[in-house]
Formats: sequence, structure tokens, C-alpha cells
Amino acid sequence: MVTQSFVDNYLLANAYAAQAPLPVKGRVVGPNNESIPGATVVVKGTTLGTTSDESGNFSLNLPDGNATLVISSIGFATQEIAVNGRATLTISLQNDVKALNDVVVVGYGTQRREDVTGAISSIKAEDIRTQGSNTVQKSLQGRVAGVQIESSGGDPGSGVRVVIRGAGSLNNNNPLYIVDGVQVDNINNLQPTDIASFDVLKDASAAAIYGSRAANGVILITTKGGKKGENRLDFNAYYGVQQQAKKIDVLNASQWATVSNAAHDNAGLPRLDIAKNPETLGAGTDWQKEIYRTAPMQNYTLGASGGSDNFTYSLSGGYLDQQGIVKKTDYDRWNLRLKTDFTKGRVRIGETIILTREYWRGMAGGWGGQGGNPVGSALKMIPVFQVYDPTAVGGYGGAYGPVTNIANPVAQLNLEVPETRSTTAILNGFAEVSIVDGLKYRLNLGYTSTFGSYSDYAYPYTVGTLFNNADPDLAQNKSERNYFLQEHTLNYSKVFGKHNVQALVGYTYQDTKYNALSGSKSGMPNGIQVLDAGTTNIASGGYAYESVLLSYLGRLVYSYDNRYVVTGTFRRDGSSRFGPAYKYGNFPSVALAWNVVNESFFKPLEGVITNLKIRGSYGILGNQEIPDYRYVPLISANTNYVIGQTQQLWPGAIQTAFATPDIKWETSKTFDIGTDWGFLDNKLNLTADYFVRRNSDILLQVPIPLSSGASGTSPYINAGQITNKGIETALTYNNKVGEFNYQLTGTFTAIQNNVDFLGTGTQQISGGQPTHHGASATITQAGGPVGAFYLIKTAGIFNSQDEINAYNVDGKLVQPGAKPGDVKFVDANGDGQIDQNDRQYCGSPTPKFTYGFGSNASWRSFDLSFFFQGTYGNKIYNGAREDLESMSVEANYSPATLNAWTPDHHTDFPRAVINDPNLNAQTSDRFLESGSYLRLRTLQLGYTLSKGVLSAIKLNSCRFYISFDNLFTITKYTGFNPDLGRYNAGATGGGILDRGVDFPHVAYPLARTSLLGVQVSF
Amino acid sequence: MKRIVYASLLVLSLGACTKNLDQVSPNSIVQSTFWKTDADFLSGLAATYKVFHDVNNGYYGVRGIETTNGRGDDFFIRNDVKDLYQLSTFTNNPTTGTPGGIFTGLYTGIFRCNQVIEQAPLSDIASDSKKQYVAEAQFLRGLNYFLLATNFGSVPIITKVPVQRADYFVSKSPEADVWAQAVSDLQAGAAGLPVSYPSAWVGRATKGAALGMLGKAYVYQKNWAEAEKVFKQLAQPDGTAQAPYTYALMANFEDNFSKGSDNNVESLFEIQNQNVGGSQPWAGENANEALGVTTAQEFAPTEVAGWFEVSPTDKLFNEFKLEKAVGGDYDARMYATLVWDYPGAMYYNKPFKDFKLVFGYSALIRKYQNWHDNNEGIWISDINEKVLRYADILLLYAETLTMQGRASEAMPLLNKVRTRAKLAALAAGLSTAQMMTEIRHQRMLEFFREGQRFYDLKRWGLLEQEIKNSDKVGKEFFAPKFAYFPIPQGELNTNPNITQNTGW
Repeated sequence: MVTQSFVDNYLLANAYAAQAPLPVKGRVVGPNNESIPGATVVVKGTTLGTTSDESGNFSLNLPDGNATLVISSIGFATQEIAVNGRATLTISLQNDVKALNDVVVVGYGTQRREDVTGAISSIKAEDIRTQGSNTVQKSLQGRVAGVQIESSGGDPGSGVRVVIRGAGSLNNNNPLYIVDGVQVDNINNLQPTDIASFDVLKDASAAAIYGSRAANGVILITTKGGKKGENRLDFNAYYGVQQQAKKIDVLNASQWATVSNAAHDNAGLPRLDIAKNPETLGAGTDWQKEIYRTAPMQNYTLGASGGSDNFTYSLSGGYLDQQGIVKKTDYDRWNLRLKTDFTKGRVRIGETIILTREYWRGMAGGWGGQGGNPVGSALKMIPVFQVYDPTAVGGYGGAYGPVTNIANPVAQLNLEVPETRSTTAILNGFAEVSIVDGLKYRLNLGYTSTFGSYSDYAYPYTVGTLFNNADPDLAQNKSERNYFLQEHTLNYSKVFGKHNVQALVGYTYQDTKYNALSGSKSGMPNGIQVLDAGTTNIASGGYAYESVLLSYLGRLVYSYDNRYVVTGTFRRDGSSRFGPAYKYGNFPSVALAWNVVNESFFKPLEGVITNLKIRGSYGILGNQEIPDYRYVPLISANTNYVIGQTQQLWPGAIQTAFATPDIKWETSKTFDIGTDWGFLDNKLNLTADYFVRRNSDILLQVPIPLSSGASGTSPYINAGQITNKGIETALTYNNKVGEFNYQLTGTFTAIQNNVDFLGTGTQQISGGQPTHHGASATITQAGGPVGAFYLIKTAGIFNSQDEINAYNVDGKLVQPGAKPGDVKFVDANGDGQIDQNDRQYCGSPTPKFTYGFGSNASWRSFDLSFFFQGTYGNKIYNGAREDLESMSVEANYSPATLNAWTPDHHTDFPRAVINDPNLNAQTSDRFLESGSYLRLRTLQLGYTLSKGVLSAIKLNSCRFYISFDNLFTITKYTGFNPDLGRYNAGATGGGILDRGVDFPHVAYPLARTSLLGVQVSF
Repeated sequence: MKRIVYASLLVLSLGACTKNLDQVSPNSIVQSTFWKTDADFLSGLAATYKVFHDVNNGYYGVRGIETTNGRGDDFFIRNDVKDLYQLSTFTNNPTTGTPGGIFTGLYTGIFRCNQVIEQAPLSDIASDSKKQYVAEAQFLRGLNYFLLATNFGSVPIITKVPVQRADYFVSKSPEADVWAQAVSDLQAGAAGLPVSYPSAWVGRATKGAALGMLGKAYVYQKNWAEAEKVFKQLAQPDGTAQAPYTYALMANFEDNFSKGSDNNVESLFEIQNQNVGGSQPWAGENANEALGVTTAQEFAPTEVAGWFEVSPTDKLFNEFKLEKAVGGDYDARMYATLVWDYPGAMYYNKPFKDFKLVFGYSALIRKYQNWHDNNEGIWISDINEKVLRYADILLLYAETLTMQGRASEAMPLLNKVRTRAKLAALAAGLSTAQMMTEIRHQRMLEFFREGQRFYDLKRWGLLEQEIKNSDKVGKEFFAPKFAYFPIPQGELNTNPNITQNTGW
């Protein structure tokens, strides 16, 4: 199992007599010859022992020259060495794969991997190369079976959408994040290098201890702590560049004018003045080129850690600056983290403090026009218009004449400055007392405070003739969110012979308070950007929220002879979000595990199969993620009007929305059966799970009829039931051939999502608006997946009037407005007309399966890692194409329009016609595309300096690397990025009903990142 | 062991925190504590009136004005806001957004009316106040149903606040029933509303407003006899107001459409617009909402930073030129309604030649524009939107008489309108048909951009003929089904009991 190696071997065999105390010196090193400080060296069968110093050196007096030393250190296989009379030894320890997985973090404690009964995936820091990712979750993409992570494009500091085991709920599918025991809203602000491990609790049994908020799974994050006997400094730095990974082609000025003229001619309408002479227009402005750039990013972290027997510490600080590939956009982040652990007698005290300061420079919205943000505007802005106009207020040119009101994206980026700053303090302290042997009381207090500040300044401008802003505007708001956590737990752990019992009872109280204050004014003097200087358009506002959750929890783990394990968990939660009769929910679960490998009958196979466990669990979890105060109807103030001969403000107030007084907890019932295998000394590990997760009473704001008069804010109801069934597997293989070490990993997840029934009135929920004016693209209804695409299907192009005439029902033309060259739509219900009733199922935004695979390998001083990840079988509605291929708006078009149908040139692309009487450009399956992709997520090559060089420059270790993110993506999807997410989704996720809809107004294209980095340890 | 006891006690003592589970909103009061005082009801009424000028859903807000006028033979909408372009070119379908907006707005008003109507009798306020608030809400509800009937025809009739979820899903009633609901609400309004208000409350619905809308509702149903009975209460045979009412035509036609003469003597009911409240006209229903409208900015020409979304057609321009005023000049209303290339023509304090006619039509729009200013300022127009003018009462009354074969009795009423326009009095002896032609002609000129033309043509049965003979872009796509809007897709998607309108 363990290779013993002797690098130095001074043979002084039996030179001394065997009885006198015998001094021995040695050095403990790791597989790469690095020093291992703090390793324990004990003479076997005695209490004699010591630990290695910072350089891995130790010295010890041996009782005799035939003693055997036992050397152990966390993360390495324990080794025994017979001294055989030698005075100097070098002991080389090997990584212990089993040891790495030994302890699993579970809610309110840790467990031996053997005792785990639930579906838990663990990722250690060593397994991921996070250096190229600005946020933690992106580095997890594809690495954890059952966890789907969608990045939301390339905007700096962006969040991601994390879905564990499919979309079970319709309102909120975000997992619960716990950082060192404290719940946080998101983990985007964590420095990836601060993280020691992720443990993803996927099934009900594992997550049950978090009851109420765990229905979407739990991600437990443990940050790095110090180690006994260690005293080290770590410095990491990287510098990189990001480039736009994919560009969407649009027409140049001359091409645009040609298409525009054809579209007007075919409609019998006068041509636009600006398009009159296509041949003289040339290429015009390439708006995309004007807004994108190659953007630098850099990151520096410095950490100090160490400790003694009773005290460990880890202190780290970091700085990240990531400019966006869209000019002006930027993100930076400062981090400071301290984690210590102190033990004195029966008492253990520790804390984690994480302070973060973040800054975002975002981009303007659509300025009230129809182009959306600068990314959307750059696609649709007509290339005839000019970027700059020195005579205009603000200095920018723009659209004029009877064209669609789309703003100059360069002007949008420069003339409006939206900035967000956020300061977060995550404080968590605990005190643990051993009351009697095996019984511990723990008090955990957490406090998270987030102070947010937003400022949006707009310069005075005249951009073209359609956009102008007479006075400078300034809008600011400040918000404060304080979360308080109080947890009391009693933990009892005892071994009685072959019986092992762990029991936990606890009480937790969580209180979240939020308040916001906003103000805005206009008319500040030039260069002044404070509200005091404003003179007009004065407005202010503010509001507050508070929610409380209190819970009683208990867990019992019993294992017999390391063979049979049973876990029972119960949690009772009370939430302030429900009415008096519905506040509490009870969430029990039970799980069983059988360590087959420990059975005596399994002995013969021990050499081949080193681990085999079968697990099964069933449990109920809850979800209360709806806004506060939704169970009582409220009166909305400020529904104001004007009154009197002098036209004064008439303050209004009235009920504007309905409430559901009997709204109650959403519950999620999960059945899970899984198995863990280890082969050949655990070189090959396999985990596979099958699960059925059924969410009932799903909390959802189901749209109510417009005729109710309160459709603006639909009430939350318990709307129905959704089932996710799936399998997830993860495979790891570690091996070593000579000096070549490698690890191969792969994950595979297939989830089937189905709505069982909806109790919503219509039994259908529409969603997924793909463009500024487009009809909805998705319908969620019983029997199908959430957010399924339901679209009018197309059947090619009418090539002649005869074909149009032939398409009739009882002599009545199905498409009476059609002309040759128009799209033929499928009259699915055969009623002789094309309308929304002809929408048919066209696919799901949920992949049939997702996967990831990659490798970490090293040879001598070199290391290489790469990771691929992808999805298969999902569809994406390309909203940008619906706009760019329409030829019915006065905006820029796609190059595909150059191939439009004409009477002399029949193609499969509809004719250009500006008034589009046949609605060729309506929401239809024309714009639905395959969303499958395979992406090389990361590729990294590293070089570690050799020992000789290191000692010469007095370093413990030093590694250089070059890393690439998103190097290439293989996909048929023609939009920016098949891995959608939605721009403003942030950490809280966008609407699940819009999941597969690519809405160009809020996009931010994905970046390809290349970076150079160094990791130094002193 | 002692420690275990202490720890257990500590855990148990935490039960006290359970009271914190009862959280109430610090931001709003709850419905059950509202509707107690006069102030509550007045606030509720303010919230009910205000829906009419909402930026997206208001029938008299910018999208409403564009939606209701844009389909007329006198109107062109440019290809900017796709929904509006589709509407004005008759290529819209149920997913086209803006009719859904006004549908939503009208029912939002109805929901709010229903709250007032239900809650007033349950409160302890003085019975006179109760009566008036209910009458006011009934007038508003009647107006909303009136507009639903003319725009959508057959729609759900909702007169109660939903109690349970099933109550949200109401099926359609025939158009005649919708009219009956409008009539009964307007009758109740007329019975309970005061003739006038003190200055501080001017702008609220009056008895005259309710009668006027009631008469108009009868006209739309061609119930001439009932219409006549109502109009008689408002106007004398010579066109002067019937006591106690004091309505009269403003001497200057243009004063109906400028901010300095809001709530004037010609107005029976109008939507109050003023740049008070917050600073943003698009903010939605909150403290930031500016209470003016953006319509004038959207209609203003690009040369003064407007979005030139609309244009009058040449059909209208030529209709104005058909009859010259006394003295040989054009109809006085033409100058208040349009601007074109005439000697000395000024627009936003610039000569007309500084403006470009981009759509091939001959004139730009002055009516309801702040065209005496240099531009439309900060987007927010203060000009009140007229719902019902005395000129409309006179012309509807005239039509009511003419349609009963009494064209001669209509003459003095028509002449009131003509005289103000500086046209000569009508020659005596016009036949019914001739008088109706004159009334149609006058209504087209008098009410351009006042949301009447399309609906007048519809009730006269002339929609197809007049749209097809016009120079309106998209006229070739007109079909009879466009007389009504389709039931919006948003309603079809959410209400299992609804059905689409005929032809859609």
C-alpha cells in the first residue's frame, strides 16, 4: 500500500552496541521532496516521540538501534520505518487518498466517510485549480455530480446559477450556503484560495438538519485553518487578460441599407433617407468593436497560518481587480479573513471573520429606448450612425430620423455611471464545552452585515435626436442587511464496543433585518456628484423588512461494527413568512448505510475492492423562500393623483394586490439510493446515486388574470407538484507510473424534470419573454418540464401564391396576409388561423444530461490540469436572432438577411418586408436552437521549482503556472454563450421559467481568460 | 450533571423568541385596519382615479392615447414601438402588448372601485359621505366598463372584490350586458354625485360628468330616446347649458388643450396631469412617480428632442381644408390642431421650415403639445387629458336628435360648435343624411387625438370604408375583426374561463 523509500542511507550498521540511548536525526518530506512540518514521529510501542520542525527535521533519542518509528501527518499515509541502527534518516511520505476523504463535513459537525448515510459530494481545495475564476462556484462547474452551475456570462464580478438536482421549485432554486457555520446569501465575495473544502449535501437525509432552507441542497464551505506546528506564509498572484470569446456578426452600413431598402420597397413604403445610397455608405460603424476590449485582471493574496497544540490561526488577505470585456465595466474586491481555534481544558473557542469590500462599475440600461444595455444596443444600432459628435452635448452621436429608438452604446457606457459598492462582514464565533466524556455543548453565534451602496450618475447629453438629458441626474441608495444567528447544540458521541452512537439536539434562531434608503436629484453643477448640489427632480424613499426563523433540531447516528449505519434526523421550523396557523413545518428524515466491504464474507475480494458502501435515504425538507408579509393583504401608499384647481398632489392608498392567508411551507420529499465503490487501493473510486425528489405545495407567484385588476403583483400560492428524477455518478482514478502522477475525474448527471400537476387556475404558466416585445416562449404545465418551450412551428417558405392558396381550411386561407417569400406557420389545432393556440412543445431548457471530465497530472516539476464540461439535449431560445433577423424594425440586422427570399432567388430565409404583415418575426421555432455544448473550461500548466533552487532562494515552495479559461466551446448555438444564466440574475438566480431564453437586452458575453500566476510559500 | 441542567434551561428559555415569529410589515398598513375614516376613502378614490393616467396601463396615459388614436384614419404611428406600429397597421394579434395594457388598467380601476363600493357601507363614516364615495366609485366603474365595451366588446363583469382564488377567474358576459353595467353604474353616479366641488376638490367626478357619459353610453347603443332624455338635462335646445349646470364652449378652442386652462367651463370630466409627486413619469405606483404624462414628449418632433411617434394623415389635413372659415381663413381649429407650412407658422418658437416632414404627410401635431414652449422640457406634460367636453355633448345631442329624424333641432347645437370654429352658421333645411354628414365631418375635426375617431367610425359602421379610402399606412390590412381588440393573450394565459373574441 505504501512505498517506503530511503533517499539517504548512511549505513552505519550495528556500529554501536544496542543498549545505550541512541540519537537519531531525520527529515520528513512529501512526495515532491517538500518539507513536512508538524509530522508526528513516535517510537513504536512507546510514548517516546516528537514532531518535525518547519524544515521537516526532527531528532529523537531511541531506546535501541532496532526501534521502529511511526511517522504520521494529516493528509499522508502513516509510515513505519525500522531504524536498523542508522543515525540519519529521510522519510518520504506519500499522499493518502483515503485520508483526504476521511472526514466529511456535515451539518453541525463532521463524520467519518464510513458513517455517512446521505448523498454528499466533497471537493477539497487540492482538487480544483481555482486561480482562473473570480468566483468560487465557477471553479466547481462540472465537478460535482448532480450540481448544475451556469455562469452568467463574462461580466466582471458576476454570479452564477447553481441548481442542485434539478429545478424542484418554481420560485427559488438556490442552495443554502453555509460558510464556517454561518448562512450567507451567496459566496461570490469569497476569495477562492481561502477555501479548504466544499461539501455538497444533496439528499434529504444529508440536508435534513438544515430543514427549512435546505430543499434545494446545501453547500457547506470550510475555510482554511492553521495547522499545528506549522508556521507559513503563502503568496499567490496572477495577472491575466480576458477577451470576448465569441462575436455575433451583424451587417455593415452598406449591407444594412441594401436590406432596409428591400424591406421598404416590398412593403410599398418610402425608403429611409439614411439608406438611400447604399454603395456610398461603406462599412460604417462597427458598434461591437467600439464597446469591447481586451481586459486585464489581476489577483493577489497573502496568507499566514500556523499554530501550536492549543491554538491555530489562519490569516489571509486578497485583492482582485477584474475589468470587463465591455469597456468601462469593472469589478474589484478586497478580502481579509481570520480564523482561529483555541483550546483550554474542556473549552474550545474559535471564530471566523471574513471582511469583504466589493466594487462594481456596471453599465446603463436601455435609456428608455429599445436597444437594451450597451451589449444589446451594439447589436441593433444601425451602422450608418456615428459614434462621436463633438458638437453635441456630451460629445456623442447617435440615431436620428424615423428609426427605432436605440441608444448609442458607447454613449451609454460613458454618459451614465452606475456604481455599486458592498461591504460585507461575516462574523462567526463558537464556544464548545466538553461537559462529560462524549458530551459537548456548543454555542455558535453568527452575524453577517452587508452594507450596500449604489450610485448612478448621468451626464447631461444629447445623443442623436432621440436621447437627451438636459440636466445631470444622480440617484443613490444605501441598504443594510443584518443577519443574526444563534445556535445551541448538544452533541453526544460514544463508542460501546461495536456500537457507535452520535446524537445531536439543538435550537437555532435566525433573524434577518433589511432596510434601504434612496434619494435622487437632478441639476447638479458640472463636476459635482452629491445630492446636496441637486436642484430639481427631488425624490426620496426607503423601506424595511424583517424575517425570523426558529428551529428545533435533532439527529441520531448509530453504527454497528462499522458495517451498518442508521441516521435519523428531525427538524421543526417556524417561519415569520406564514400566517399564524401555518408558521411551523416538521421535517424528518431517515437513512441507512451498509459498509459491505467490512463484512467478513467480503475478505476474499479485499485486494480488488477496497471500499463498497450502499446507502439509502428518505426525508422531507421545507422551502419558505417567498418575500416577507405575503399572507395578509396590504394597503399600498403613494398610489397618488392630482386634485384641485391648483393641481396639487392627492395622496392615494389602496389595496393593489391579493394575498393568500393560508399560504404554507413548500415541502420537498427526496428518496435516494446510492453506492460508493473503491477499487485497487482506492485508486479507482466510483459513486453513483439514483434519486426521486418531489416538491409539493410549490410556492409560486402564479400570474392571475388581467381582469382581476391586481395582476401586477400576483399572490404567492402553493401551486402544485414537481418531480425530479435522476442519476448522478462521479468517477475518480489516481495512478502513478514512474514519476508520472495523474488523476482522472468525471461526473455525469441526468435529471428528468416533470410537473405533476398545477393548481393554478389555468394549469399553465407562461414565461420566457425573448425580446423587447416578443410573445412568451415557455409554458409550464402538468406532464412537461418546467419552462418548456411551446412555440408556433414553421414549415418553410411559401414560394408562390399557389402555395399560399393551397394552405387553407375549407377554402379559408390559413395565412391570408402572406405573400410569396413569407414563412409558413403550422396550424397545429387546424382551426384555419395562426395564433397562440398553435403553440406546440418544442423542447426543454433542462439538459438531458450534464457532464464534466478532466485530469490533474504531474511529471517531475511539471503539472498539468484541464477540465471539460458540457450539457446535452437542452434548447435555447435565441432572442437576439428574433430581433436581428426580423427586418421589421428600423434597426440593424443579421448577415442572414442578405440571403432573404426574393422572387428570383428562392431561399429558406423569409423575404424582407418592413411592416411584416405575415408576422414572420413573431416568436416561433425559427429561433429555437440546440443548447448542447462542450467547453474546455480550464487548462493549466504549472512548474514547481526544484528543491535545490528553493533552498538557494530560501523558499518552501514555488510554483509558476499559465492558465486558460473558456479556451473553446463546441456548440451549435449561435448566440454569445450557450451557458446562459441571465445578467441580472446574480447570486439569487433569475426566474426559472426564463431559464432557456437568451434575452439580448441584458446579456454580457462570455470572456476567454488567459493568465500567468505564481504561488509561493515561505 | 449540573452543567447539563444549566444548558437545558438555557435552551428552554429561548422559547421566548417565538413571539418574534409574528412579523408585521413596517412599510404598509394592512387591509383590515384601512377603510375606517373619510381620509381612507379619499385616498382610495385617488388611487382609483389615478389609474387612468398610468404610463403603461392608463387609458389616458401615453400608451393609452397612442393605442386608442393610432388606429384612426387620421393617424399614423411610426415603426418604433413595435406594438403600436402593429396596431396602427392592423397587423396586431393577441400578444401585442398595448391593448393588454389598457385592458389591465381598466380592470385595475374596477378592482379599486369595487373596494370603495364594498367598504363604504361597512364603515362608520357619515352616511352622506358614504353615499357620495360609492357614487363616485360607481361613476368610475361605469366609465371603465364603458371603455371596455367600446374596445373589447364582450368581457368579464366584476362587481365584487374576490374572496377566494376561484373568484379571479371570471368568464365573459355579452357586450350588451357590459353596456348595461356601464349604464347602471353611470346612473348611480349621476344620482349620488354633486354638481360641483369646492376649488380644492375640482377634478373629481360630478353629476354632469356622470350624465354626460351616460348619454354617450346610450348613443353608443343607439338608444336615442334615452340619450335624448339625458342630454336634455345638460343642454337647452339652443345649446346653452341647462341649469344647474354652467357648461359652455371655451371661446378659444385651443384653451381646451393647454396647461393654463385646465378644468375649464367646457370640461365635464378630465384626467388631472401635473408635475407633482416624484420626479419620474415611468416609476410606477410609488413615491417616485411624477404625476404628469409623457405623451407630448413622445409626439413632439425630433427637432425639439421629441420621439415623433405619431403624425396626422393628409386625410385629416385635407378634411380641415374642405370648408373655409368666415373671412376666408381656415377653420380656427386647424391652427390649434395642426401646424403646416403656412405663412408665419411657428412651432416650439421656431419657424415651421426648421422642421422636417419625415413621413410624407403635410402637417405636424399641435393639439395637446406644449408647442408654445421651446421644447417638451423634462418629458412631463401638465396638460390635463379631456375625457368629456361640452362640445361632445352638443354634437352627441345633435346626433341623437338627427337620428330621430329631427335634423332641424340639431342645427343650433351644431352652430355653437361651428361658430366657435369661426365657420358660418349652417343653412337651414338639411336632411337627416346631410346633417349626419355634417356631424361626422365636425366630429372628425373637433376631436382629433381625443380618442373618438375610430370609435365614431365603428358605431357609424364606416370603419372599413373610411380606413380604406384614407392615406393611412397599413390600411390594406384592415379587416372587420379589428373593430374590437382581441382579448389579450395575458388574459387567455391566466384565465381558464375566458374565450377569444370573434374573428381573433
